[in-house]
Amino acid sequence: MAIISKPPLSPIGMQIMLWALPALLVLAYVLPFAGVALRSVTRPAPGLENYVRIVASPDLRMILYRTVLICGVSTILTVPLAYILAYYWVMGRAVTSRLMEICIFLPFWISVLVRAFGWMVILRNNGLASDLATFLGLPAEMLATGRSANSVVIGMVHFMVPFAVLPMASVMRKIDHRVLLAANGLGAAAPYVFWRVFLPMSAPGIYSALSVSFILSLGFFVTPMVLGGGRVTMIAEAVFVQMFQTANWGLGSALGIILMLFVLAVLWLVRSVVKLDQSVSR
Amino acid sequence: MLGKSRFGIVVAGVVGLFLLLPLVAVVPFSFTAKRFLSLPGGEYSLRHYWALLDTDTWLASIGTSFLIAIVSSIVATVLATTFALGIWLLRPRLAGIVTGLVLLPIVVPPVTSAVSIYFLLAQIGLLDTIPGVIIGHVVVTVPFAVVAIMATLNRMDRTLDQAARILGASPFQSIGLVILPNIRFGLFTAWFISLVMSWEESSVTLFISGVNVTTLPKRMWDNLRLDLDPAIAAISVLMTLLTALVIILRGSRQQG
Amino acid sequence: MNRNLTDDCLDLLQSQHAAGRIDRRTFLVGLALLGGASAIGGRFAQAADKQLVVTNWGGDAVDAFQKALTGTYASERAVDVKINGSGPTKGAMKAQFESGAVSWDVCDADPGATKSLGELGMIEPIDYGVVDRDQVQPGFAYEFSVANYFLSYVIAYDAKKFGDNPPTSWADFWDVEKFPGKRSLYKWMSGCMEAALLADGVPADKLYPLDEDRAIRKLEALKPHVLSYWDSGAESQQLMRDGEVSMALMWHTRANLVEQDTGGDVRWTYAQGILAPSGWAVIKGNPSGRAAAMDFISYCQDPQRQIELLRALGCGAANPKAHDLVPADLKPLDCSSAENVARQVLMDMDWYAARSDKALDKYLAMIAS
Repeated sequence: MAIISKPPLSPIGMQIMLWALPALLVLAYVLPFAGVALRSVTRPAPGLENYVRIVASPDLRMILYRTVLICGVSTILTVPLAYILAYYWVMGRAVTSRLMEICIFLPFWISVLVRAFGWMVILRNNGLASDLATFLGLPAEMLATGRSANSVVIGMVHFMVPFAVLPMASVMRKIDHRVLLAANGLGAAAPYVFWRVFLPMSAPGIYSALSVSFILSLGFFVTPMVLGGGRVTMIAEAVFVQMFQTANWGLGSALGIILMLFVLAVLWLVRSVVKLDQSVSR
Repeated sequence: MLGKSRFGIVVAGVVGLFLLLPLVAVVPFSFTAKRFLSLPGGEYSLRHYWALLDTDTWLASIGTSFLIAIVSSIVATVLATTFALGIWLLRPRLAGIVTGLVLLPIVVPPVTSAVSIYFLLAQIGLLDTIPGVIIGHVVVTVPFAVVAIMATLNRMDRTLDQAARILGASPFQSIGLVILPNIRFGLFTAWFISLVMSWEESSVTLFISGVNVTTLPKRMWDNLRLDLDPAIAAISVLMTLLTALVIILRGSRQQG
Repeated sequence: MNRNLTDDCLDLLQSQHAAGRIDRRTFLVGLALLGGASAIGGRFAQAADKQLVVTNWGGDAVDAFQKALTGTYASERAVDVKINGSGPTKGAMKAQFESGAVSWDVCDADPGATKSLGELGMIEPIDYGVVDRDQVQPGFAYEFSVANYFLSYVIAYDAKKFGDNPPTSWADFWDVEKFPGKRSLYKWMSGCMEAALLADGVPADKLYPLDEDRAIRKLEALKPHVLSYWDSGAESQQLMRDGEVSMALMWHTRANLVEQDTGGDVRWTYAQGILAPSGWAVIKGNPSGRAAAMDFISYCQDPQRQIELLRALGCGAANPKAHDLVPADLKPLDCSSAENVARQVLMDMDWYAARSDKALDKYLAMIAS
């Protein structure tokens, strides 16, 4: 019994195990973050100048507004598309399900850079989409959205669909199939069962897909820069520009803080909505 | 239900194709014989694949990314494991708050994290170094490893640990002989997720690397912005193939 | 050294493996780590040697600098020269200085930007004990930078569309009726304000100081037709090459490369081109030190090397002694030669030093709004 002779892990050892990671994160993440918050009110001069500028200047307000608009539109497009995929992944026959799985996970694991690049070669003017449009006898602009907000939305939806599928699929998996059979057995038509039974039961998945998509999209950086042609500036890119191109570190930090506060607000909102929904359905 | 309607299936198929479309679209561009991004137009060449073997640029970046991903994913997994075990075994009163702290980097937008880590590394002189990038990657990937391990731990039966202790095992022995073997899938998942995330990490890396450390995503980004030469199409195709291979192999193993 | 270390580790791993002390998986992981380590080990080893980082504007300029300047310099001085193409914009140089972690030794930068950064104490003054003032076009040996070549912001156009009746002025560039199609301008403003004012009828000799608000209004008017504000030289090349835009404000160096790539489907003109010097600048605290940077700068002054750079990228010579040596086929590209200068407008670097921060803010706001 050589094992027993080993010294037991003392409670202090356990404490070290527990606190190693939080300690590291405080040092390497929370403190530097506090530094960012501090810079946002001390650079270039102490005061709320940067925040005032964000609220007051029309171009920065425009960036915030554009970010929310593009993220909102992308989220609203993402969730229904993802829902359909999730549905057939979970409920479809084996072959369908397997195909759906490949369609979901192949892009999921692939770098955002590759995916943005793929859309770039498709959507740009005189790219693949405009060739296709010409072939079909349509005006090129119908399919080739070029460097524009539309292209950014397409790229973002493409990025987020797999992320939105996962929470919805996991809720769908938990839905008790007997309920659906029962509804069927009671004479409900298939569409009726779907709209009145399945959809409401999968609602929690939809909420979390909505919030995951929206929050993910707020941080988008690569996609707008690659697909927006320098004209579709969103907040994450604005942070990058302020940090490295105009070297306004205070303003860059303030934008980063605002973005984070916004994300927290969205999370809080989602939680309240979900709670409200639960209390109503009870 | 929706499942029986042909319309639904068709829509799902279209969405699936939409997801695959950009991955397929880059393929022809990778075979162009020209020096700039273009369709081959009858003249095919592998020159841009050969360009990936250049030891000063692409191959070096692949090596750098690989090293950083391996080290940071191992560090992240170890830290996440000790943390999750600590929470699970000790059940400290502050568990909720501490876990919230650890998961913070998931919620904080990457660009905000990037700015924080940039200032940290600039302060301690690790900007644009391999250790610096590893620190950055550990910070942003470790929460996902924690989630993966905690999810597995929560499914584990606590009585196994208690049984081991009653039989005289020290907490450490119980961890080594009972708990870890039981959550090995969670550990593997945690490691794999951190590995892939580090391998692909672009948002934080773009802020904290530059001349001396060029990870693969950083090189791809520079190429997209500054060169747009067809090597980017070639590397895209290879990465897609690799991913497809892993997914298909995994799938067939599950079925087999 | 490194090689030996790797081999030792391999031996150790193998013997441990043979002795059954580590299992196959540990062995494989160890191998993988060593593989990764040796792939970049070479780079570490280089980093330990003397290294000089030259930062320029990327894409084709990286190869061109390598061919014309740094390749021979590296072998003659036994220094490892790295070219970083990420673009030394004013903000990027400022960020380098302020982060306290300067990684660039010599920047191919805008003299206006370096002047204002220099006045803030962020740039090393040029050491004219090492760099030869007589080898620079008179008036372009500044305190904080020295002209390394000239470039021109010119109109590039789609010759398939406008070849018979090409644009000859910025007014034509703004005229989307007569010259239909999309446009592209530079994201970091240089040249664009001048182009707008010239298009708006301001005479070339009354251009400076720039009437910023008037320029912004004129730019705003063109904005619906601007497909993209290009961020890097390569991007401007791609936009013209693929016909995404029918006209672009471009660096003549890159316009020339597109003309070659497309076999003349894209052409460009010096008409109302905005001629600007580019300059070598050294950020204070550069890793290799001031002396090493100055040595590189003076090395690049050689007329023959200037012609090599002209051949590789089309950069107009900054050394007046070079112009006479330029072979006939390259003469049209040499934007700073007397006959070509006559067709262009000279950019005023002092205006940029004094005003570019505020003006760039306005310009970026115009793009983002």
